[in-house]
Amino acid sequence: MIESAQVHADGQTLSCGICIVGGGAAGITLALSLIGKGLDVLLLEAGQEQADAASQSLYEGEVVDERMHSPTDKYRHRGWGGSTTIWGGRCMPFDPIDFEARPQVPLSGWPLSLSDIAPFYPQANAYLEAGHFEYDARDAFDPPAPPLIAGFASPSLSTEGLERFSCPTNMGQRYRARLAVAKDVRVLMGANCTAVHLTNDGTRVDSVAVTTSAGAKLRVTASAFVLAIGGLETARLLLASRDVRPAGVGNAHDVVGRYYMCHLAGNVGRLTISGSPTAVRHGYEVSPDGVYCRRRLQLTPEVQRWLGVSNLIARLHFPKITDPAHRNGVLSGLYLARHFISYEYGKRLNDGHGKGLLHELRHLWNVLTHPADALTFIAHWIRKRTLADRKFPSIILRNRTNRFSLDVHAEQIPLPESRVTLGTQTDALGMPRIKVDWRYSPDDIKMVERTLRRMADEFAASGAARFEFDPATLEDDLTRFGAYGGHHLGTARMGSDPTTSVVDANCRVHDVSNLFIAGGAVFPTSSQANPTLTIVALALRLSEHLQQLLAAQVLAAMDRDAA
Amino acid sequence: MKVLVLGGTGFIGREVARRLSSQDSTEVVVASRRAQGSPAGSSGISVDALDQAALTRALEGVDAVVNCVAGDGGAIVQGAETLVRAALDAGRPRVVHMSTMSVYGGAQGLVDESHPTRDDLGWYGHAKIEAEASFDRYRQAGGNAVILRPGCVVGAGGVDWVGRLARLLELRRLGDLGAAGDGPTNLVDVADVAQAVVGALALPQSPNGAPRFNLAAPDGPRWNAYFTDLAIALGATPVRRLTARAMKREIYLRGIALKMAERLAGKLGARVDLPPAITPSLTRLWSQQIQLDSGAATRDLRLSWTPYAQTLQRSVDWWRGSPS
Repeated sequence: MIESAQVHADGQTLSCGICIVGGGAAGITLALSLIGKGLDVLLLEAGQEQADAASQSLYEGEVVDERMHSPTDKYRHRGWGGSTTIWGGRCMPFDPIDFEARPQVPLSGWPLSLSDIAPFYPQANAYLEAGHFEYDARDAFDPPAPPLIAGFASPSLSTEGLERFSCPTNMGQRYRARLAVAKDVRVLMGANCTAVHLTNDGTRVDSVAVTTSAGAKLRVTASAFVLAIGGLETARLLLASRDVRPAGVGNAHDVVGRYYMCHLAGNVGRLTISGSPTAVRHGYEVSPDGVYCRRRLQLTPEVQRWLGVSNLIARLHFPKITDPAHRNGVLSGLYLARHFISYEYGKRLNDGHGKGLLHELRHLWNVLTHPADALTFIAHWIRKRTLADRKFPSIILRNRTNRFSLDVHAEQIPLPESRVTLGTQTDALGMPRIKVDWRYSPDDIKMVERTLRRMADEFAASGAARFEFDPATLEDDLTRFGAYGGHHLGTARMGSDPTTSVVDANCRVHDVSNLFIAGGAVFPTSSQANPTLTIVALALRLSEHLQQLLAAQVLAAMDRDAA
Repeated sequence: MKVLVLGGTGFIGREVARRLSSQDSTEVVVASRRAQGSPAGSSGISVDALDQAALTRALEGVDAVVNCVAGDGGAIVQGAETLVRAALDAGRPRVVHMSTMSVYGGAQGLVDESHPTRDDLGWYGHAKIEAEASFDRYRQAGGNAVILRPGCVVGAGGVDWVGRLARLLELRRLGDLGAAGDGPTNLVDVADVAQAVVGALALPQSPNGAPRFNLAAPDGPRWNAYFTDLAIALGATPVRRLTARAMKREIYLRGIALKMAERLAGKLGARVDLPPAITPSLTRLWSQQIQLDSGAATRDLRLSWTPYAQTLQRSVDWWRGSPS
């Protein structure tokens, strides 16, 4: 059932079995997986089904260094579907090495292994419409797809790993009908959760406070509560709930909001491939189930351990868009159109430096001298992206020169000083706004450098390609646009030691027996992978845990009644 | 036990006759309008299901009759009424009547047999609801009837839910529909339908009304997954993702053109093998969030459902082997 929170009068208390706060990737997954389980689920969605500026403005906050992090109301969506309404759709599972405690990544190591999450990945892949859970290029295609670079083979540098693309699926729209007909799941729209109220002894959540978009105040009680509100809001809500625990809920050891991670990303260096351009597959393959897939470069886990580096993947990418020296009409066209492209997708077209009229004219010259390129591109883009439901994931240009850069996506070391705190201002509902101070470590850059050097060695050894980059500009290349947007991770990290973590292996807040967290906030380390697929898989695992837990509670209650 | 299978040469009737014939204790008579080949171990007769006198004669000495007659709305309603009258005249044999999930109309959510019927989806559901009522009257008159309500029946010979879809997939006119293909399929293997008939024949007499049983495999996929699996099995890949716009074009442009071509061919008396049309009722079904609860059939008819993977394989094997 889906209804507006406005049907409930001020002062009302709603009760349910499981209260899920947030209708994004994690919350909708939980709700879907709990349909028909008889657990009386109530999902509180703060926003509305349509984009709502007033609701979105509640996400505004403060960023300590604006060059290093996007404004806090960007790259996330306060509304039904959450940030799946704006995401790019890139899916890939975590690697086994991501769960290991690695000396080169301090505070790494999950209290889980990949095998604990693996059973949930295929269903997660299906929910996100990324097709079958097959991420090895050798098995994903029929007929088999050609190699990334013909003639390149290396025992240390794999090119067989894939990323698969969701439509990108807006989970709110896609699964609305299932939730609308569900008898044991209620979705309440316009229900802003403003506080988590603990019992007086602080060991359980008594209720959560809700303010509706019309201003009515409600209270929700439940056997179990799940916060599925994204990495930034999770920290905000826990820290702002101070009535019983002055430091905030789950924050006895000052961990909530710390260890905030995104990803380091950027285009680096020049990759020159020898031989014919037709021997390179830099774009997308389509799997039999119709999903766009792309190969990635990644050092094997053995080599990562040997070199003592963090996890990183790289894709073949075109040269820097902003530099007109590429003489490509399409890239220049995109550059000139950057003001018409949404903030999230146009960001990399604005590198923050005014370049003057001559610079713009050189781009215009590129467009005018390559009209066919631009027209072909526009036709393809309209047909395969604008008008398609399964969207062509990104701009791929014809490879004429065999010259690329590497598009790097790397994990970062969790740092206690990289953090989300409460600011001094409050929003329209009286909640403190957040303050984001994202940091990275010089070691992050060094590890990327070591990885790229090894990649260069492997290319050189094969004779198939040559990779060069300038270590002096690497940090700038990786941080030119700040933290990779939209990946808000680690603010309520998972671990077995409560002094360095907030939730346990079951996503339960250590010292609160009925409070769970779903979403990227629980990731203790960030992996090379984009987080959504793993967020959904972890939500499915949490769903199974909650089902067992509540079934056990019902049995225990029956035993008590019988006694 | 002697069992008459009415409509025994159709897709479901044939499988029912075959399944019953394989039991030593059962003597099977296959009845159809035109006597055709009947499965080994059964005999065939020609009966017009709308001819009460002929049907009464055919029911003589018969312990049970399975009604698998298909046809247009009139034939369904008249056929049921005729069968009830003939059965009352012929000593009230047990009747197993093949109904359909369509009696639930546009209902959504988890639907068990206590869910009221809904006459909101056109002639087929309407006729099937009326036919069910005939067998309630049969029960009130002292007869014994069991009503089966299968979902979409697939397996070897499944023209509607295998053959037609396979052709559309091979023509790339069907694929992943997103939210528009998110409805549960309620697939049921024709072998399981036949098994349900066996269970229905063994069911003890019910004290009130004709008992109804939903038939849908509990592990049935949603339409998108079924289309994708079928397409991959047929090699009709890569599976296309179709937009709502594309489906509208299918219905309103190609669908209308195909209907006109069909009529024209009919008028000219020409036999043409036209590609299948995608109708508004099909697209409505594909997005309908109806999940049949078939727990009662599992329990009372003692059904062990064919796993989806096996049903899919049987369906694909039949389509590949069938002359199209």
